[in-house]
Amino acid sequence: MLMLGIFVSMVAMICLNIPIAVALAVSAIFGLIVMEGTGALVTVALDMYNGSTKFSLIAIPMFVLAGAIMNAGGITDRLINFVSAIIGFVRGGLAMVNIGVSLFFAEISGSAVADVAAMGSVLIPQMKKRGYGGPLSAAVTSSSASLAIIIPPSIPMILYATSANVSVEQLFVAGVVPGLMGAAGLMLVAHIFARRYNLPTEEAFNFQRLRETFVDALPAFALPVIILGGIFGGFVTATEAAGLAVLAAIAVSLFYRQVDLKHLKNAMLDGGMQTAVVMVLVAASVVMGGFLTRAQVPQDIAQGILNITNNKWVILLILNFFFLIIGFFLHSAAAIILVVPIVIPLIVAADINPIHFGLVVTLNLAIGQQTPPVASVLITACAVARANIWEVSKVNIWFILVLLTVLLMCTYIPSIPLFLVEYFYG
Amino acid sequence: MLSRLKTVLETFLEWFVIFLMVILTFVVIVAVLWRLAGSSFSWYDEVAAILLAWITYYGAALAALRRRHIGFDSVLLSIPMPARMWAVTLAEAITAGFFILLAWSGFTVLQVMSGMNLISLTWVPVTFTQSVIPIGAVLFLVCQALSLPDYWRTTASGISLEHAEIEEEVEHEMKKAGNA
Repeated sequence: MLMLGIFVSMVAMICLNIPIAVALAVSAIFGLIVMEGTGALVTVALDMYNGSTKFSLIAIPMFVLAGAIMNAGGITDRLINFVSAIIGFVRGGLAMVNIGVSLFFAEISGSAVADVAAMGSVLIPQMKKRGYGGPLSAAVTSSSASLAIIIPPSIPMILYATSANVSVEQLFVAGVVPGLMGAAGLMLVAHIFARRYNLPTEEAFNFQRLRETFVDALPAFALPVIILGGIFGGFVTATEAAGLAVLAAIAVSLFYRQVDLKHLKNAMLDGGMQTAVVMVLVAASVVMGGFLTRAQVPQDIAQGILNITNNKWVILLILNFFFLIIGFFLHSAAAIILVVPIVIPLIVAADINPIHFGLVVTLNLAIGQQTPPVASVLITACAVARANIWEVSKVNIWFILVLLTVLLMCTYIPSIPLFLVEYFYG
Repeated sequence: MLSRLKTVLETFLEWFVIFLMVILTFVVIVAVLWRLAGSSFSWYDEVAAILLAWITYYGAALAALRRRHIGFDSVLLSIPMPARMWAVTLAEAITAGFFILLAWSGFTVLQVMSGMNLISLTWVPVTFTQSVIPIGAVLFLVCQALSLPDYWRTTASGISLEHAEIEEEVEHEMKKAGNA
């Protein structure tokens, strides 16, 4: 009964547009007062402080900062030229360039919205000029940017790893193969659209042109090499890789001479603000975590579901539905922070690998970024394309189907996300 | 007067968050390079975590001033007037109530921790590092109050702040790309 009251009050507060962090903390405080009286209130400040000092989360401001510096540093054009030289000869090449560049940006940045705004504002107008139409241009940009959250580095993955107490490095590795599969699927759908609407190719394949664009974009490739090479090779932790990514982003931007102090100042401010917004949620989740632990709620939920079924594939199906629905209404950071600590005991009890589950959760939330009403990435792409969100959604269904297919494959064939993890860490 | 106070506070918080980010970035980069060179700082973990906490609460106050905290405004905006504004009043009161509680709890904790120092930097008092909670909570309250008039107007007009923020970001990037 108490849990129902807390759940209802939290949903009501979220519907009133109270910041989700505040709704979370206030519901937890209500529960603590009912259980233990007002004496528990003094610990709220301690919980909120401890929640904001989680060392592993220092990677978040660093990755956001690296992405913001690179967005300001003008590598977009060089990347577009390079990817266009690789794949521009295929029909619908510009859509594929969009998907390819999205994946590259994902290697650097933690914010899909910022990437869509930065990259979409260059590519979407070009796509519209080449006959793609606003809805298709927005759908390609939006779906590929969302897929990017399963490619390392990824802020949702860092949050999941902290919430579930698993290795963020292993989770990063698990995202690589599903990310590439998703990108291939999105490119295939874009190609089918291109054939159907007779969209153009961009440029004939020319090895000399490929070489020139590669050399021009070469310094920008330092970032994925540092991040992925450093983490996969076991040389650095995710937090250390994030620090090095900032250093490399500054170096690359200076090399291209396209960053100045004003850009750097804005990047620092963006990084600080985005971090604060996520970290307040994390801190509030510690208050809620304290209440849930004392009330034994995660254990009770786990036991309740295990009494119905202990088949892990059925449990994964139930959780997939649950996270897909949550993704309609919550931002990915909020969804992870709210739900993951509650379901982790169930995951452990059902003998599901928490790294595997982390990838499933992240993929669900990537799809959630495409489904209104809460769909910041889709809304940003629509704003850039000046396209109606429902018109875009009609086209986007096909791209969402690709993401759903990847989700189902990763859910029921765990070796897809896990074989690289076993290779590097097994 | 109110808008001048808002501008002054916004400028102060912006520069303070930037200052904290610069220090955190510097500390993390130097610590990584040192570690790769085979050495390490004993104070790194503790200091970096404290900097993260400070960025969290001073950044949260700035985000409150700009109404950028993660929320969900679709239901609120669908409530007919004038009930919508009663809902806003209730929501603002609950949010303010939480931060008043946090400020009180933070000050109480500071009194308990008086005389304690950090583990790695023994000359730094814990009350200094933990002061971020009560100060951050009070700053949040001030920022919430200063941003309320604008928020009141936009909500009464049925405008989503998230959508307005996205429009602003998109316009900025389109100008930069020369596609405005």
